[in-house]
Amino acid sequence: MNRHLNNLMMLLRQREFCLLTLVGATVAFATAFDSAFLAFGNLRDILVRCAPTAIVACGVMLVVVTGEIDISVGSLMALLAAILGVTISTNEWAWPTWAGLLIVLTFGTAVGLLTGALVTFGRVPSIIVTLGLLTALRGISTLIMGGENIDRLPPGLESLSKVGILGVPISIWAAAVTVALTAAIISWTPLGRRLYALGSSLHSARFAGLSEHRLKLFVFAYTGFLTALATIVDVPRLPKIEAGIGVGFELLVVTCVVVGGVSIAGGRGRLAGVLLAVVLMTMIRPVLTFMDIGEAGEKWTKAIQGMFILLAVLIDSIVSRQTRRGTPP
Amino acid sequence: MTNRLVQIRDLHKSFAGVHALRDVSFDIRRGEVQALCGENGAGKSTLIKILSGVLEPDEGEILFEDRVVEFHNVHAAEATGVAALHQEATTFPDLNAVDNMFVGREITRAGGLLLDRAEMRRKTLEALERLGETINVAVPLRELPLAQRQMVGIARAVSCDCRLLIMDEPTASLSARETTILLTLVRQLRDQGVSILYVSHRLEEVFETADRVTVLRDGEHVTTQDVNTLDKEELIRLMVGRDVKQPTRRETGSSASDDPVIEVQELTCRGRFERITFTVGRGEVVGLAGLVGAGRSEVARAIFGIDHYDSGHVSIHGQTIPPGSTSAAIKAGLGLVPEDRQHEGLVLPMSVRDNVSLASLQALTRASLIDTRQERALVDAQIEQLDVRTSLIHASAATLSGGNQQKLVIGKWLACDPKALILDEPTRGVDVGAKAQVHGLIRRLVERGLATLLISSDLPELLALSDRIFVLCEGRIAGELDGATATQAQILELALPDRRVPAVT
Repeated sequence: MNRHLNNLMMLLRQREFCLLTLVGATVAFATAFDSAFLAFGNLRDILVRCAPTAIVACGVMLVVVTGEIDISVGSLMALLAAILGVTISTNEWAWPTWAGLLIVLTFGTAVGLLTGALVTFGRVPSIIVTLGLLTALRGISTLIMGGENIDRLPPGLESLSKVGILGVPISIWAAAVTVALTAAIISWTPLGRRLYALGSSLHSARFAGLSEHRLKLFVFAYTGFLTALATIVDVPRLPKIEAGIGVGFELLVVTCVVVGGVSIAGGRGRLAGVLLAVVLMTMIRPVLTFMDIGEAGEKWTKAIQGMFILLAVLIDSIVSRQTRRGTPP
Repeated sequence: MTNRLVQIRDLHKSFAGVHALRDVSFDIRRGEVQALCGENGAGKSTLIKILSGVLEPDEGEILFEDRVVEFHNVHAAEATGVAALHQEATTFPDLNAVDNMFVGREITRAGGLLLDRAEMRRKTLEALERLGETINVAVPLRELPLAQRQMVGIARAVSCDCRLLIMDEPTASLSARETTILLTLVRQLRDQGVSILYVSHRLEEVFETADRVTVLRDGEHVTTQDVNTLDKEELIRLMVGRDVKQPTRRETGSSASDDPVIEVQELTCRGRFERITFTVGRGEVVGLAGLVGAGRSEVARAIFGIDHYDSGHVSIHGQTIPPGSTSAAIKAGLGLVPEDRQHEGLVLPMSVRDNVSLASLQALTRASLIDTRQERALVDAQIEQLDVRTSLIHASAATLSGGNQQKLVIGKWLACDPKALILDEPTRGVDVGAKAQVHGLIRRLVERGLATLLISSDLPELLALSDRIFVLCEGRIAGELDGATATQAQILELALPDRRVPAVT
């Protein structure tokens, strides 16, 4: 194998490089259709769409890094949205908006803590716990909403989506702060190092005196909190809260985490890869809309998302097989 | 002030009703190296885990500097001044060397909030330098060779300011050079007043390094005495409770290589090994010696078809084995007992029976179904031959001692009646009694005509069993020795790269 090919292989091994290439290709493709794709307003809209996924992916990524998984965030989001609607809608309890937001944040964190407690103290595998919660939380939210949409949301909530700081929508700010905080935890704090250590080897972590319980409680609680945050920034975009909110969201998040290069076995993965995967997955629908193919665009979104997932996994497998040959493991 | 740093009083510990430790009492003095000896299952690891806060005793107490201490966790033990290097790998494969050194006891700034990465890096390099290692501290540990990973674990243990350092088989995967450096460091620490509790199956190290030795047998304390008052045979007798013969020279067969079984010609894999040529005859043991990293296991893996190679030729019984074809190698009658038996040799959660029959399933299959009666007969025969208790047949392989696990891996290959067997470090981490049994097994097999390629860092073992010995150095064959006349010194001389002489102490 010549040197150039080798270097290319090394580059391809970096998941971030692959994803960046795919994102770049997609942008180029859309721009070729219509240069208005690159307009400031459009790019901002795409980022706004990315925000909730990016926020929750920060939490789920840390869960996966410790070797666990959380597939309940979609239903949690639905429950939290229902709670928000019931507390502040003028048709219902009509509490002040800030009180509703506070309750949502507290409740989200509490559910996360409960998940973590079931996993660590209950010794139930997280895939089972969150699979149960996926159904249970969806059920509770259906009970609360009675199968109907909640409307008559106070104007204070809607303005949340309109206000911006320095011209940037609040949801993007929330995502940026979450990303910065998560990045800081990962690279600068003992906590982050211990999360990776725990996922890398549970056995060694015990010998190093790390508290498995506390670390896992943290990642699930963090995910719960971030799901609440994502709910708060996402709900105000729409005039009402729909019964089907958050359906499939948990799989989108887990997909982004895995496509972003986080090892499902724990211990490995970078935030940058996850964020690029979020952008790639979210971009597909706006791009299809831009191609102006009407109904068909909607229908193709999932198929193309699926194709990207398989592509990312396939490249990874081929490249790692190529580079493993002839070099020491 | 007494001279006693630690007093262990009447320790009891049992797991599910089975005694691991019974009434164990002894002292550790300040600034001594105390060896802890005993067969696998004697209770050494349990004792060490209690001393380092991983386990809590059922009864009994530990006095540290005449005060009773209770270690509920590792942190409590470390805070008191007890650090441990455990036998099982306790490193993190996905973290780099710096993070491995400090995870759980990070150096922080900004009031404990942020990592002080520069300081941690500096201290890591310093600790590794003391061990004479230059390691790339930026890459994840899984990208480093096994020995370097082990050195990082050692660096972690010795870098904390401890009063008692417990080392459980620290040299198990180290080369001769690294072992020498480590033992020098152990003596340095002792001279600085640190007490060291040292566990090793390599009795040479015990006599070379320890001041006193404590022997455990079946969970009970046998003796603690000056090492000078013992000799090797006596120590082994205390450990085993009966006389065990040291490996004696095997009667070597006649012109064995007239009937070559394994033939390796000009085998080359760039960056790993080059132009490896040798044959192993019927009823012959060929030893493969060399330092850790010299390419011994890599050659074995290439012959067996696990790894690819660039050029060369391998044949078994005149039958060419295509590169990378493990199934062709097995079909031609070759077996491999790998170095890492837990991961590569056994399927730990599966039962003893399922492990033994795993490589023979094809022969046991009738109409796509496993003939369980025939399987049972095969496994029973193997278990008996291997001297493993038959009551264990349905137990999972994970519950077996290291010695029994190793016998199981060998048994797996014997079950499919191989013509040739590669043994990679067959007695590493195996206690004295089981080691003798494994040696006996190898002898019996060779007498029946099995061609054996033996890789071992245990030079007395290699010399006792091999007809011929090839010494590898940096991926090349540095020389061939006659097993009957070769000496340890000759092997080491060939194994060391030019002008690199081991640090003599």
